[in-house]
Amino acid sequence: MGRLSLQFEYDAPSARTRLNVIGQEQPLKVVRAFHVAHGGVLVHLHNLSGGVLGGDRLTSCWEVGPGAHAQLTSTGATRIYRSRPGAGPARSSCRVHVRENALIEYLPDPLIPFAGALYEQQTVIDLDPGAGLFWWETVAPGREARGELFSYDALKLEFELRAQQEPVAIERNLLEPLVRPMASTARLGCFRYFSSFYICRVGTGDTTWRALEKQLLDITNRLTSPVITWGLGRLPAHGFVVRALSLTGREIAAGLVEYWQAAKQMLYGHDAVIPRKIY
Amino acid sequence: MQLADSALPIGSAAHSFGLETLVAEERLTVDALPEFLRDYLAETGTVDAAFCRAAYRLAGTDDELTARWLALTQRFSARKPAHESRTASLTLGRRMMQLFLALENARDPGAEAHYSMAFGYVGGTLEVSELLTAAAYLQQTAAGLVSACQRLLPLGQQHATQLLWELKPAILAIARVADLPADAQSFTPLVDMASMRHVELRTRLFVS
Repeated sequence: MGRLSLQFEYDAPSARTRLNVIGQEQPLKVVRAFHVAHGGVLVHLHNLSGGVLGGDRLTSCWEVGPGAHAQLTSTGATRIYRSRPGAGPARSSCRVHVRENALIEYLPDPLIPFAGALYEQQTVIDLDPGAGLFWWETVAPGREARGELFSYDALKLEFELRAQQEPVAIERNLLEPLVRPMASTARLGCFRYFSSFYICRVGTGDTTWRALEKQLLDITNRLTSPVITWGLGRLPAHGFVVRALSLTGREIAAGLVEYWQAAKQMLYGHDAVIPRKIY
Repeated sequence: MQLADSALPIGSAAHSFGLETLVAEERLTVDALPEFLRDYLAETGTVDAAFCRAAYRLAGTDDELTARWLALTQRFSARKPAHESRTASLTLGRRMMQLFLALENARDPGAEAHYSMAFGYVGGTLEVSELLTAAAYLQQTAAGLVSACQRLLPLGQQHATQLLWELKPAILAIARVADLPADAQSFTPLVDMASMRHVELRTRLFVS
């Protein structure tokens, strides 16, 4: 069992966001928050066991209070270890509430499921009026350097994003490479890595979305190559989802930052600040 | 059977739901079609059929129909990341509902509908069995995909008919398994991205 409950609070006198650790149980831990530009804080999410073990039950709950700005990242790739026989799937759930005019940026390293891994992840995010979100997630095919590609047993990745209590994005992904081949054209085709990047700001006007869409489409066309393909989807309301499929992991990370920079500048009027450590 | 025909005049023949991009980018060939169609139905078809069955059940309720219908539509929209495919599904749903309500003195759910939901609602209102309705929906979806492939690929009539015929067991199995929308899993990133990228194709035979 691991639990991490965080609250981010905007402190008006200092014009800064403050981290309150409501609770943490190993292996999940945060050490401290670093102030970043424009009153935000950066938090590194640690998993002290070095990865997710079969049978783990990890629960995270993050609340970003009105006007606060939280940036969260991992300290390295999330390794999903092989599940021991009888241990059952590892489960991780994350509940996020982004209050009025607050912003969350979740920029983790990739998820790497090892051979024999069984993993279920559930993420539910609520956005209040004016709330913003930059949220990406990349999944690797396995330990590629060992020649271990799509050798995990199952990944169940559930994601639900709601804005003002209405659903704007729902994913219910079940990947079982041994019974549902990933190389099918209906799934990944020739690609190995996949990534989703959600860009939202509740209540932003249509003119801004149209201008941003044009910029993001330009990036999409410029970055797409035989090695990596990008796609841009306009959500039913309040934002976009960027998707990437790639033969390698390196191009995805660089491309995500380009989209992030463009969207942050358009929606917030300033540059995206890359979390120190990963790039 | 008339309303389940893929040639129903609601405009479904104008949509490829991303297939046109997959062919244009040389990712989909005639040889790959049997596997592709089977997997497409196992993933996207399962979700569509689950929403079809959920809408079928709503046809039999009077209790807050419009609110529940709207919630179902919103959840289905949220599961479609590609704007073109989402719009195509809503457009076909609207046309099917308009056609059906013009033919039958049925209750209007009072909100937008995705195509598979409209299909389910028609089946439920006409009291066709739920399983048969879902299977018929999947059958005409498969027929529409194969028809699109015939226009995009060197796929002859006989081969197309054979492909469709061989999908029957999969269609029946999926119709049975697809039950609750919340439980319906799918993973079709390449198809979703093909639909997202469709608007960028220089020459397009299809709307989506």
